Amino acid sequence: MSMGLIIIAGIGLFIVMLYNGLIGKKNQVENVFGTIDTLLKKRYDLIPNLVSTVQTYMQHERGTLTEITAMRAKAVSGNLSDDEKVDLDNKVSKMMGGIMVAVENYPDLKANQNFIQLQKTLNEIEEQISAARRAYNAAVTDFNNAVEMLPTSLMASMMNYKRKQVFEIAEKERQNVDVKSLFNK
Amino acid sequence: MPTLDELKNFYDIELYPELSMIEELRIKARNKILISAAIIVPVALLVLVYIAKNGKGNGLFFVGIIAFFILAGIYHFATKEYIQNFKTGIIEKLVKFIDQNLAYSRANHIHQSDFSASKIFNQRVDRFNGDDYVKGKIGQTNLEFSEIHAKYITRDSKGRTREHTIFKGLFFIADFNKKFNGKTIVLPDTAERIFGQLGSMLQSMNKFRGQLVKLEDPEFERIFAVYGDDQIEARYILSTSLMKRISDFKKNTKRTIYLSFVGSKINIAVSCLKDLFEPRVFRTMLDFTPIKEYFEDLTMAVSIVEDLNLNTRIWTKE
Repeated sequence: MSMGLIIIAGIGLFIVMLYNGLIGKKNQVENVFGTIDTLLKKRYDLIPNLVSTVQTYMQHERGTLTEITAMRAKAVSGNLSDDEKVDLDNKVSKMMGGIMVAVENYPDLKANQNFIQLQKTLNEIEEQISAARRAYNAAVTDFNNAVEMLPTSLMASMMNYKRKQVFEIAEKERQNVDVKSLFNK
Repeated sequence: MPTLDELKNFYDIELYPELSMIEELRIKARNKILISAAIIVPVALLVLVYIAKNGKGNGLFFVGIIAFFILAGIYHFATKEYIQNFKTGIIEKLVKFIDQNLAYSRANHIHQSDFSASKIFNQRVDRFNGDDYVKGKIGQTNLEFSEIHAKYITRDSKGRTREHTIFKGLFFIADFNKKFNGKTIVLPDTAERIFGQLGSMLQSMNKFRGQLVKLEDPEFERIFAVYGDDQIEARYILSTSLMKRISDFKKNTKRTIYLSFVGSKINIAVSCLKDLFEPRVFRTMLDFTPIKEYFEDLTMAVSIVEDLNLNTRIWTKE
């Protein structure tokens, strides 16, 4: 009798551990995604600063600057789905890259203290965003392993957990930024 | 960093004359030791024979110990002047030769508080000593390193004490080029190498160190296990290029290395069983080979700044 109780208690404990483990992994993924969001916001907050610093120097890139300001407004307005967020973020990343390359044509701007500081802050945030993406991918891989491997996979299918997608670098982002086409729109 | 050819040239012009003078001290020290040994060993043997004849068996052991300590004491005092001259004459010159901005101090070492603050080793430190302290600035990066020997002591039920080494080798501290708040620790990965997947599970249970950070560089993961209190910050510090650079550094040194990133500093412990930067007593030092060895040990430490790209200051930290 008591032996039976111990076995049932053991099985119960095991199920609770599986369940909690899965919840923990799912929350880790959400948690890191939240951080990426925060970091992206931090970067969006730098855009007005960047635009106001460079616009007096950059005469030929007015269009790009207006466009990036508009994108930033759209990004911080809120009501965007996760997919739209990622898409917008990709576009902004590409444009910022373009602006940074175009800076090479303006020696005065390159020497501007304000700009140098801004560039360092941007570098830092880019590096943090990339770190957060790697952390997200690690958390997702951990989660996916649990969803697909025994014995957690049985629990996961009961909880209706599905594989999640890792961050992939979009094909267009992998190509070198074509600055000319960016500014000749 | 000077090349080996430049070192050879420096050895011929600057070091050789100095070494010739120090060589006389070495011969004097060696003779003192040999003469003392020639007296003490026969005396000890005579005492032993005497004790053995009188049948007091446990006296044998003590005579051996006493003779050993007398010889060790004589060795220490006889070589003191020679070692001091060697270090100020040769090692200090070598340090300056590697980089003018470096300062050498024979008797100093990294502070115990800095060693403990690195959080690499968790054991309680009971004995802490070291020497050959180097401090300076390479480019924009402040660095310091020295030889360190940290030990802890255990007592058995009979009250006998035993010393155990926590770490022996070169301990290096430098400014890190990125700002961060938490701590990230990179340890040699023994569990995963031996136990594979199971080792990785064991590591994640090591809560005492913080969270296990699984990184995506397979080579780096095979050599190291990373613990930290922030998954994202650990990856911010250990960028893909830094992981590669650390793996390469480990491969080049062929030694066990530990790293930690705490309080905006990078700490690196390079384990080494032999005493570093110590001159030989019973063989001549008028030889390029040992000098080359000291030079390589020194440049290994100094080149960390370049190897790990610590002078790249494109982030907000100046």
